[in-house]
Amino acid sequence: MTKKLFYLIIGLIIGALVILLAYILIPLSQNEDWNSWLSASDVPIRFLFVGIGAVIVLGIYYFSRQNAAWTVGTREVVYMGIGAALYGVISWLFNGTVFAVPSVSQVALRPGIAIPILFGYLFGPVVGFFTGLVGNTIGDLLSGWVSPQWSFGNGLIGLVAGMVFLFGDKKKSLNWLLILSAIGAAIATIVWVLNPGETNQMAAPWDQPLTVIAGVSAIIGLAVVAAIRFLWAKDLDVAASVVWGSLGIILGIGFAAIADIWVNGYSFVTAIVGEFLPAAGPNLIQAAILVPLLLVAYKAVQKQTGR
Amino acid sequence: MLVTWRYRQLGTIIHRLDPRTKVISFACFVLAALSFWDLRFLSALLAFGVFQIFLARIPWRDIRRVWLLIFLMASLFSLITFLTGRGGFEFYAVEHEITRWTAPFRLFGWQPVIPVTAERIAYAASQFLRIVTVTSYATVIPYTIDPRVYGITFHRLGLPDKFAYAVDLSLRFVPTFARDFAITYDAQRARGYELERARGGLIAQIRRLAPLLVPVVIQAIVGGEEIIDAMDLRSFGVRPRTWLMSLHYHRIDIVWIFFSGVLVLGSVLLPMLGYGGFWVPPFLLK
Repeated sequence: MTKKLFYLIIGLIIGALVILLAYILIPLSQNEDWNSWLSASDVPIRFLFVGIGAVIVLGIYYFSRQNAAWTVGTREVVYMGIGAALYGVISWLFNGTVFAVPSVSQVALRPGIAIPILFGYLFGPVVGFFTGLVGNTIGDLLSGWVSPQWSFGNGLIGLVAGMVFLFGDKKKSLNWLLILSAIGAAIATIVWVLNPGETNQMAAPWDQPLTVIAGVSAIIGLAVVAAIRFLWAKDLDVAASVVWGSLGIILGIGFAAIADIWVNGYSFVTAIVGEFLPAAGPNLIQAAILVPLLLVAYKAVQKQTGR
Repeated sequence: MLVTWRYRQLGTIIHRLDPRTKVISFACFVLAALSFWDLRFLSALLAFGVFQIFLARIPWRDIRRVWLLIFLMASLFSLITFLTGRGGFEFYAVEHEITRWTAPFRLFGWQPVIPVTAERIAYAASQFLRIVTVTSYATVIPYTIDPRVYGITFHRLGLPDKFAYAVDLSLRFVPTFARDFAITYDAQRARGYELERARGGLIAQIRRLAPLLVPVVIQAIVGGEEIIDAMDLRSFGVRPRTWLMSLHYHRIDIVWIFFSGVLVLGSVLLPMLGYGGFWVPPFLLK
């Protein structure tokens, strides 16, 4: 069952990537301007991408619904509440209204991203999804706005990080997951290389094209994730948490950025270069550093308390 | 730095609405706003959003900072759209040039030239209005819904008991964790911790966050175990839970929901009938 489930999940993710790639390559092969497709007026295609995200989540749940990972007891309810509150508060603190932490070469610091990944990895996909979805909404509400598509994307990050619970052996498939994340990051970086003038929509200064660091931040992030995966290969939890977390970031942020084509009327290039890269790249780097730190601290406390 | 929820208990018509009505109408209004690209329709929807804020008597000083930020972001997004011309290509095949702006400088021998067209101006304005309109609807939620009723609101909207309670729990924890962050931040600063220091590279900056993040997160997780014990001892989840507060729809709620429904229906039907699409004001085409 576990093996079948793994192939199914990989199949769903690859299917989504293939559809995305087809929509990139078909217009290009017909010598069409790729800014003219996948646009705000093209309702069916916009909904196709929102639908893909929902189908992946529902598909994963449906085919693994017998798995204990989906059980919600008292423990899960409490950690859903704690995780969402923590994520909401940290998002609010670091969105520029309380702590004015300078961004480095357009790479904004968003340490809260470690929370849905950590809670998903420690307490399961339901806790991870809830932490990301509700936590991001709380952070938005505290700041005075709401962006449902980004909250759902954050939920996906926690959900994917928690999917490790669906597999008996955490060590299996880590390299495949890393390759999948790398494909996602590579596609986005190629789009940036082809459109270097596209401006950053996620970090100040707003009206500037992406710096080289921001442009290759997804690749840097993946390199850090890969380094941790292999350097800490003996500490399975550290390796597995960053690998599953990185896949979560690629899929979650990718979902939110593509949904913005519909919501904000961005072109495909703006969504990928202006939103996905500056959001996913820094998040990958921050998650790769902060999640292992939090995980090691948690395990030390767990050892002390025996729970 | 302690977080206090932005809610203020006032007796306005918006405050008196059932929180479920506010959540349902928010979803309907946002859907309606996202269905149109016509400046006239968007202006009407924005006017209604601002009218709601006035009805709720939300003081300008409370929302000034957020609105200035949103205005800045929306202006920049629209300016970028206008300068690049991207995003609007699917709405118009022909552009009516009003003037052509030539940059008074050269970059490596290249002089930027930006065609100022009627279509680009109209599309950038539509994008700006859409963002600001959605913000106007979102503003009402945190200022007019009592945080104590979020749990029962979502339960009555169909969320299972456990998830509704988790929402309730998370909202109760927000002020606590904000206070924990404030205490930890002050304690670390007393030890020479400088969060805002720009020195060091990206990795160094991220690592600098650990002394603030790790104690609060780990303390929260450890504290969670005590809450789990307390809830288990009270047989949480064994039977459907009861809620201390109750919600009731009144006539005004029915009217408000009906109006929201009509708005959504209109936002679906009008574009199908050819209304509400991209529109360029005639005076720009002259």
